[in-house]
Formats: sequence, structure tokens, C-alpha cells
Amino acid sequence: MTLQFKPAETFRDTFTYRKSPEDILRFPFPFPEDEYMYSVNIEPHVRGGPTAAFQAAFDIDEHYIAECRERERVLKEDPKRCQVLPHMLAAEWDSLELIMESLAQDYPEHFSLTKAGDLWTWVNRPLNIHQSFTFGKVETLPCGPFEYITRQAQGDFTLQDQRDDNLFVDGGMVTTQADWSLEFDIGMSFHEWHGPVPLAHEKGVFDRALKYLLRLQYGQPVRRLNWTMTVNPRLDTSPENYPVWGPDKASVTPDNVADKVHLRVELQTLYRLPRSNAILFGIRCYLTSVADIARVPKWRRRLHRVLRDLHPDIAAYKGLPRFHQMVVEHLAPLDDGTPTSKGIAPDTDVLAE
Amino acid sequence: MSDQGIKSRPKYQPIAPDPQGRHHLLVVDGAHVPAEALAEGVNPSAFEVWTVAHKSAVPGSAAMEEEAGAVRVFRSVPHLFSALEERLARETMGLRLYAAGTEPFLWDAYGIGARAGLSQQEMAFAHVGAQARRIFCVHCRTVMEGVTTSIATCAGCGAPLFVRDHFSRRLAAFMAVQIDAEVPGEVPQAEELYS
Repeated sequence: MTLQFKPAETFRDTFTYRKSPEDILRFPFPFPEDEYMYSVNIEPHVRGGPTAAFQAAFDIDEHYIAECRERERVLKEDPKRCQVLPHMLAAEWDSLELIMESLAQDYPEHFSLTKAGDLWTWVNRPLNIHQSFTFGKVETLPCGPFEYITRQAQGDFTLQDQRDDNLFVDGGMVTTQADWSLEFDIGMSFHEWHGPVPLAHEKGVFDRALKYLLRLQYGQPVRRLNWTMTVNPRLDTSPENYPVWGPDKASVTPDNVADKVHLRVELQTLYRLPRSNAILFGIRCYLTSVADIARVPKWRRRLHRVLRDLHPDIAAYKGLPRFHQMVVEHLAPLDDGTPTSKGIAPDTDVLAE
Repeated sequence: MSDQGIKSRPKYQPIAPDPQGRHHLLVVDGAHVPAEALAEGVNPSAFEVWTVAHKSAVPGSAAMEEEAGAVRVFRSVPHLFSALEERLARETMGLRLYAAGTEPFLWDAYGIGARAGLSQQEMAFAHVGAQARRIFCVHCRTVMEGVTTSIATCAGCGAPLFVRDHFSRRLAAFMAVQIDAEVPGEVPQAEELYS
């Protein structure tokens, strides 16, 4: 199906971001069961899955152009949202190659990559970019290779260096994050950057996840879903700008809760990179309002049950307390108690009014 | 509130010389090696020791000569760090770097070591002395020294900041986040926690 891009929509101030019916149904709803707890919910990242968001290596949707413009704006305000430590240059080129090849393969109508030896030509039609460059020569691109390609992708990316049996977050493009700071965390080990997450350390989640990721193989990427909730469709919920977006949280009322509060899902993908042996971590962010979720009967029942029974430490860590109960009370009358099927598929291809 | 359950907070233990090391350099931020910085049975003479007198009238020290048991005295912490950068730039494999003192001192020493190419396994740290924290305002990047309370006003942007246990070794600082960002003025009483 042809994507209708909406280049003018905004993720701040006027918040003109809206989802088409197709875009609602392709949402990677994050709850496979009626209850939620931290787990190592990692699976192979193969094309195809319960919604259309899983059909490509790096998913592009109707918000692509608007999200790239929002990223450009964040970087103008704060260039340090993209940083890569100097020893990661090989991983930068690995990332550029992987993302360019994947986009050209998955979306030939929008992207193309042609190679004549090391002389590559990249065409990005939605953003109107035509770039010839020499692979491996930084000076032939307008900026570093990692920044160059991640300016043209949706979602955040980080680069993990593997050494001393650990992973270190030694680079990233982080403009659409759920409240973590690259400037503060860059250089940290796996357990350090996950330090603030409650409960999961005690459950051994990070020990097991790290062991698993240290063995990640080239050509066998994996994925998981993570989630939180965001007031207004705001992509940049960074700690840096918390004084700017924090007041949104106190703006939720029982009348506006369904339109204001958005389920924020990260489709996280992990790729072993071939030359550097680093890991590229994609954190693709999707926002869907409670009102839009309520148009899918299975999803509204399940979201109600998950939020109603959510562990209070998780609710607090995710920053939900000011509006959590309002969302539960909004969804309660929409949950008829019918059992829900396993998995995240919407089980419908039409939306309820 | 004193244990926020955050796991990026470094853990420390008393220092003992690494048997794999060829030469052991211990830097401290005071005039003497504090006894509690060393593991049981370890003698300061196992190390080349660099101390800080916090005085100007201190003759120069031979910072470039390896010598176990030597004690070299510096005028201030920046004076010591300046010599450490020079020394590590000329060092060869087998040096082990140890530091004992306040947390900002330890992780500044770590940064100098890391920039000189030492790995985490080639360095060890013991936290002794004041618990006061260096904090990094995540909103405006101001760094403040000697914070002893759970909430402190940012000297850069004026925000009342909550001091999280989230620690960056690179910045040698704890993260500080505006506590009343959601409802301006909603600021709890600060508690004295890190004195």
C-alpha cells in the first residue's frame, strides 16, 4: 500500500499529529497478555509479524517526513543529542550500510542505493536527497556516517561497543526518547545505563539479557517491545527538556484523558554489525492515543486490565501516577470482560467508532 | 530516599595491589593515605604514593620516576592531576592506578586514566572521606560540587534539583533533575543526606 506522508504534522506546540485508520491498526501494541511484568521478551527480528509495523527491518510509516523534520529541529536546538565516541567509526559505517541497504530493499519506491566499488549513490525520495559518497571516507558526507543515516530514519539509535564481556553505549542519535539522556549515559556499561529501572535487576532480567546480547550473531537480529505513556503526541520527552514537557502531565483531566494520553511503544531492534562487532540498537517510537486504542476492542480491554493491575513501582518509574487512575477509569466501562486472545494482533481490520 | 535502588551507583572496596601489575601508583586527595582505604595487611610502601598538601609552599615532585615506596607531594588536586596526565602519557604496560578519596576525585582520576588508555581492570578505587556529591544538572549542564542535600538549587538555571543516585563515571557526577517540573513550586523539604 502506498504511504501518504503527512510532512506538516507536529509533535510539539500545536500537536497536529494524527493517525489514519491503517496507521492505528499497524500499531505494535505491546501487551501479549492481560498483565505486564518485566521480562526478557526478545524474539528474532524477522520480516512479518502480528501487525504491519513488523514488515520491514526499519519500519517507515506515514509520519516519516514529519519525524525527520522534528529530529532536525531537536538537533538544531541541541547538537549533543547525536554523539559517537571516536573509537566507534567502523560501527558508524556498518550502521549506514545496514540502514541504507534495508531501506532500499524494503521500500524500493522511496529509497535506492547503487554501488560502483566504494563509490555509492543514495537516493531518498521522500526527503529529496541524492547523495554520492565514498564508503569509508567521512569527508565525502555532509556529517558523520551514523548521524547522516539516522537523520533519515524514524526512531532513536544507539551504538553498543562490546568489550570486557560487557556492552557500552558509546554512541547514539537520541531525539525521541522516553526520558533518558545520551549526554549523561554515554560511555556507560549495560547495567549502569539500566540502573534506574526498578524490579528488573532483582529478577535477573538484565543479567540474562546481557548474556544473550553478547552472543548476538551477525545476520540474526532480534527485537522486543517496550512501552510507557506520554501526554500529548510528543516525541522529545528527554530529561533535558523535562521542564518543558513536565507540565503536560498535570494537564490531564477526566474529560481530555483519552485524547491527551498516548501509549508510547518502542519497537527495539538489535543488530550485530559486521566489521566493528558492535551492536546497533534501534528504538523506534510509536504513539497512539487512548482514544485510538479504544477503537480496537481487544486492545482496549487489554490495556484496561494491564493498567488496572500494574505494579506501583513500574507505574512510578514510567511517570504515570498523575493520570494512571484516570486512564483506568476511562477504559473500565469499555471493557466488557470478554476474554482476549493471546498475542498483540488487533483481531480486526476495521475500527470501531 | 537514601537508597533509590539505582544500580549505576559505583561500589568500592579497600585497595590491594594487583599481583598482575608491574608498578602501583596510588593517588590520594589529602596529605596521607587513609588507613581505611587499604585492604587488611596492605602497606602503603607497596605503592608509589601521590598526596595533596593543600599548600603552596611545597617543593616540586619528581612525577616522572617510577619508584615503589616513594611519596610525592602536590600542592592541590589539579596540580596532582596535571602531573598524572603527563605521567600516564609516558607510561607503559603494567602500571596499575589506584585512587582513594572523595567520589569526584576518584572518577576524575578514572577519566584521566581512561583517556590515557588504562582499562577498568587496570584501576581500582576506594571511597573515603566526605559523602558530598558532585551533581550535573541535566537541563542546563551546570556542575555543582559538594552537594549534601536531597534537593539543591541549580547555580546555572535556578531549578530546584532532585539528586538521583544515577551516576556517570564519565562526568564523575550524579544526575540532577528538576523536582517541580510538572507542577512548578511543588518542592518537598530538602533532606541532609550526603554529609
